Amino acid sequence: MSDFKLTTIDEFDAATERLLETGRKVGADSWQLRVKNQTPHCKFGEQGICCRICSMGPCRITPKAPRGICGCDADGIAGRNFLRFVAGGAATHSDHGREICHTLSTVSRDGNYKVKDPEKLLRIAKEWGVETEGKDIYDLAHEMAELALMEYGKPHGVQRWLSRAPKHTQEIWHREEIEPRAIDREVSTAMHMTHMGNSSKAEALVRQSLRTGMSDGWGGSMCGTEFSDVMFGTPKPVDTEANLGVMKEDHVNIIVHGHDPSLSEMICEYAEDPEMVALAKSLGAKGINVAGVCCTSNEVAMRRGIPMAGNFLQQENVVLTGACEAIVVDVQCIFPALGPLSKCFHTKFITTSPIAQMPDSDFIRFNARTAGENAKKIVRTAVENYVNRKPELVHIPQLKQKATVGYSVEAIIKQLDKVANSQAEPTGTTKPLIDCITSGVLRGVVAMVGCNNPRVRPDSAHVELMKKLIKHDILLILSGCSAQAAARAGLMDKRAKDLCGAGLKRVCELADIPPVLHMGSCVDISRMVVLASQIAKDSGLNISQLPIVGCAPEWMSEKAVSIGNYVVATGIDTYLGVAPQVTGGPKVTELLTGGIRDWVEAAYTVETDIEKLGDQMIERIEEKRRALGI
Amino acid sequence: MATLFQRVFSGNDAVYGLTEGIIDKAIEQYGEEKAVSFPGTAYSLPCYYAVTGTKVTNLKELKEALGVVKTLMTRENELNDVFMSGVATALCAEFIEVIKYIDGATPYEEPCYGHLGDPVIRELGVPLVTGDIPGVAVILGSAPTAEQGVALVKSYQAQGILVTLVGGIIDQCQEMGYKTGANVRVIPLGKDVTSVIHVVSVAIRAALIFGNVTPGDAGALMTYTKDRVPAFVNAFEPLDDVIVACGAGAIALGFPVITNDDKDVPPIPKSLIIQKDVDKWNATSLEARDIKIKITNIDIPVAFASAFEGEIIRKG
Repeated sequence: MSDFKLTTIDEFDAATERLLETGRKVGADSWQLRVKNQTPHCKFGEQGICCRICSMGPCRITPKAPRGICGCDADGIAGRNFLRFVAGGAATHSDHGREICHTLSTVSRDGNYKVKDPEKLLRIAKEWGVETEGKDIYDLAHEMAELALMEYGKPHGVQRWLSRAPKHTQEIWHREEIEPRAIDREVSTAMHMTHMGNSSKAEALVRQSLRTGMSDGWGGSMCGTEFSDVMFGTPKPVDTEANLGVMKEDHVNIIVHGHDPSLSEMICEYAEDPEMVALAKSLGAKGINVAGVCCTSNEVAMRRGIPMAGNFLQQENVVLTGACEAIVVDVQCIFPALGPLSKCFHTKFITTSPIAQMPDSDFIRFNARTAGENAKKIVRTAVENYVNRKPELVHIPQLKQKATVGYSVEAIIKQLDKVANSQAEPTGTTKPLIDCITSGVLRGVVAMVGCNNPRVRPDSAHVELMKKLIKHDILLILSGCSAQAAARAGLMDKRAKDLCGAGLKRVCELADIPPVLHMGSCVDISRMVVLASQIAKDSGLNISQLPIVGCAPEWMSEKAVSIGNYVVATGIDTYLGVAPQVTGGPKVTELLTGGIRDWVEAAYTVETDIEKLGDQMIERIEEKRRALGI
Repeated sequence: MATLFQRVFSGNDAVYGLTEGIIDKAIEQYGEEKAVSFPGTAYSLPCYYAVTGTKVTNLKELKEALGVVKTLMTRENELNDVFMSGVATALCAEFIEVIKYIDGATPYEEPCYGHLGDPVIRELGVPLVTGDIPGVAVILGSAPTAEQGVALVKSYQAQGILVTLVGGIIDQCQEMGYKTGANVRVIPLGKDVTSVIHVVSVAIRAALIFGNVTPGDAGALMTYTKDRVPAFVNAFEPLDDVIVACGAGAIALGFPVITNDDKDVPPIPKSLIIQKDVDKWNATSLEARDIKIKITNIDIPVAFASAFEGEIIRKG
């Protein structure tokens, strides 16, 4: 029998506790402490009924003061706050996508960035009606980059990517006026609408929230994912490891943290540079070890098998090991706390993007055109810092698990081809997956995504829900910090099949997959809506009819809300383990958890009792099955 | 339309009801103490013994065993329940079959074999392990035409695959004057669908004899058959609920089912495959069971395979 065993949440916590001891020794601050300082949170903010969008305010809604100074009611305030929340998330993903498109416009045969997956580029070009015949692939790449960049600000029309959705879904979007036009325009419109003296009607604000989310998922994020694949390769199954134990005591440890793979890919390249490796050895290290945190980690894990040190709430732990020479970051979800924290250790906190500049960091500006020299300088800085390590502070928790990752839509379909009988069944489709679902071998699919949030014991909701769902023969597709929680727990080890129900177990054995599939970073949730679209087309059903639901049990960021909006708008019911800050607006709440179903055939369910959240997802999946008679 | 799971459950319920009736009638007729056993086996009721670790010696124990089987018939909508229901169907079939053998009766006659004794398994076991017999085909029902049925049997036989027959295909072979028998590795089991248990019994005893599986360790049993016994089922349309339930048992043991029934049967990758064209069943089945046969085709006017080694040439 195998000696396989999941790492428990208790073991996660014990490791963290041991690291916090080091932190206390050096006088370091931690998120655990800061949560205490911030508790209890302001109820007005929590319910979304505090408004500070003009200087007549701040206003807040109470039973005695049911309207703000301008006369806006609770729904107007909660709705506007929600829409701005979404706009923040959409702007973030979309700007990430934009950077990728700019990077694409720099590709050249002998440059820092190349076209690694020309086939995918040709496929997208065809999709967009771009002539490819007789064109140099690099000329085509530049042309596509221009076109993609135009998606951000084109004056007319709607997003090109929308045509990937089934016809029925496209009709809904058109009918409901939630087709995203230019990506940036939806964010601007959101900011416009929420200005003092514009929209205060719940329906209008929620509708624009959906459209803004759509501009992310079916716009900016999709640009990010698709063109990252073109430049860095479309992910295919690859073995890696996860959790803090991937850091090596006798190596220079470089942690990449953030989101944009343009940086992390280049760091990985230069970490293998013989000159840098030799430098590391000359300073007494055995080599250079790159590991990741958050979504940039997902990116390089998916494409290179670079190990994943941890997810969102592990970022301080990485430094607390005392073995981190540099934590190199670009944008998004980076704790400013890393600055002061790194000062307690020898760690260099290296910021690289003008978008995310922080005090107490070394700013090494990273630019696509000078990426090579920038990356080399960053790696050199890290390596040279090895000699400053304080051995008495070094403690790397010896926890890690094996993981198989890299399940892009393309890889999933390729994997499914392996179980199709070439004599009897077509290949290149999602039909084997549909057959498993129709026959009942699999009950359905849950897309689990999202962050960590101190409101939930870190990773406990992710992992417990996953365990519950796979036992019930539900396949999981994951991204972001949810995926990392799974990997760290061991659920991406193929041996985790033994924790599944008989159906999923059999599927894992026959298709040679782990029971939870890592589909990538947060922009890669665009892969999930493409997959759902493909399943709908291959099955002839509408997306909303499929026994598929989305779930963000420990979500935290504005991005997560933007994601939720495009997932729901795509027709997929979405389950949240943390309540959005709208509960003070009854109409807004009703719309999000029910009313929008009339528009887009899906809605949100909020349930902070994780056990119940799981039961509700299972029940919803079974309900959809009953409706289909399967 | 019933779902696949509902069909399995309903087929299982039907067989269970039938089994209960037959056992009760036998008790009425012979009394509880009447001995029950299959000839030529040291494994009691091999399937029941392998799954539960309990040997059954008389009708009273058989009735108790039926109670145990009932506990396998959980009815949640999950594959484990379907698998167990499939196994329960197989066990019921074994109970029905063993009663046929009461008092040393010989319920099967030429060309059918019914129960196969341990010596047959020991004899077949070695070539199964060495790969000389690369697979075991279980053909069930009637082919669209007798010609197609015989062609299918022959195609497997020519690949050295052991072929077992249940139901109408036996008549079709006879009709075409096709030679069958253990010596040529084409074994007609019986005309009733329950006689399929006699090949299941072979697979299960292989696990006990060669796989050293502990009787009662159902998990290890299913892993062994899935990994080591290269069997597959070819079931001709129409599939009724009982056959579908038996199919679930086969799939539980790791044996894919290939059928030409595309009505009310949802395909399951690698497990339940719909192939309308019976002429492609051989290739479809081998791929489904991952059986790879390296064939050197010797261009001669007669079939050539190890299966014909035991063939007896009669005068005339």
